[in-house]
Amino acid sequence: MRIVFCGVGALGSTAAVFCRNLEATLCFVDFDRVESKNVLAQAYVKQSIGRNKAEALKLQFQNFFGVKAEAFGVRLVADNAEALCGTADLLVDCFDNKASRELLSGFARKAGKPLVHAAVSGDGTFGIVRWDERFVPDAEDQAGQATCEGGEHLPLIGLLGTTLARTLQDFLKSGVRRDAMVSLNAVTPTAG
Amino acid sequence: MAILNITYNGQSADCPIELDGAVSDVDVRRIAVELVRSGGVAGLHLAQLRDDAFNHYVVDRFDSPGGLRIYLRPKVPFGA
Repeated sequence: MRIVFCGVGALGSTAAVFCRNLEATLCFVDFDRVESKNVLAQAYVKQSIGRNKAEALKLQFQNFFGVKAEAFGVRLVADNAEALCGTADLLVDCFDNKASRELLSGFARKAGKPLVHAAVSGDGTFGIVRWDERFVPDAEDQAGQATCEGGEHLPLIGLLGTTLARTLQDFLKSGVRRDAMVSLNAVTPTAG
Repeated sequence: MAILNITYNGQSADCPIELDGAVSDVDVRRIAVELVRSGGVAGLHLAQLRDDAFNHYVVDRFDSPGGLRIYLRPKVPFGA
């Protein structure tokens, strides 16, 4: 089983940490670098500042947990989607923009790959985990809009990340595809 | 009969509603404002809720074994 996490910022890195015990090879895709502000909002430590996020997470998995992972420090685009995701058994979307989510959705549908999305609102009060067959990406209000730079949304990121991890666990165990909505007062399974 | 779920300001609650045929997204947002103002949604009573409180919210519709479920929720563009 090969699971490819597309985007390992706040949500992707947090969810990945809670997937470290899965019987699967975890692969991380992200072109971005760890900045000092990220250590308060994402699963990166001070020693990772300056590294590519995918490479940094792979190193942290090896050093802290003794878990081997794979890293691809590039931006997912149409030309490399097959190379990055073609061998995946499961795709996980934790991107931060509509265009990348659509690109990944398009690839997954064409290739017949299972894909689950996780996404959070700009104010950090709400998020969803939703399988691709029921997912329509929302646009950011402004291109490049930032969220959770100082870790103010960590409680919600934690809830959503663990909900996503449990969703992946359930899929691996029984093939079930559960959706959920996550707010600060509840994790609610949704129809589907 | 349908179930309308409203998520606002980190709180989320279900509310059964009677619908006469299909309702537009605009209708769902308007109904939600009235329900929240009137206290018709458990745990979400805001008498002074603005008319445009849900203008940028997303309306999801799913058929479920219990009937139509409508979710009115904030946009979720972010992840990484």
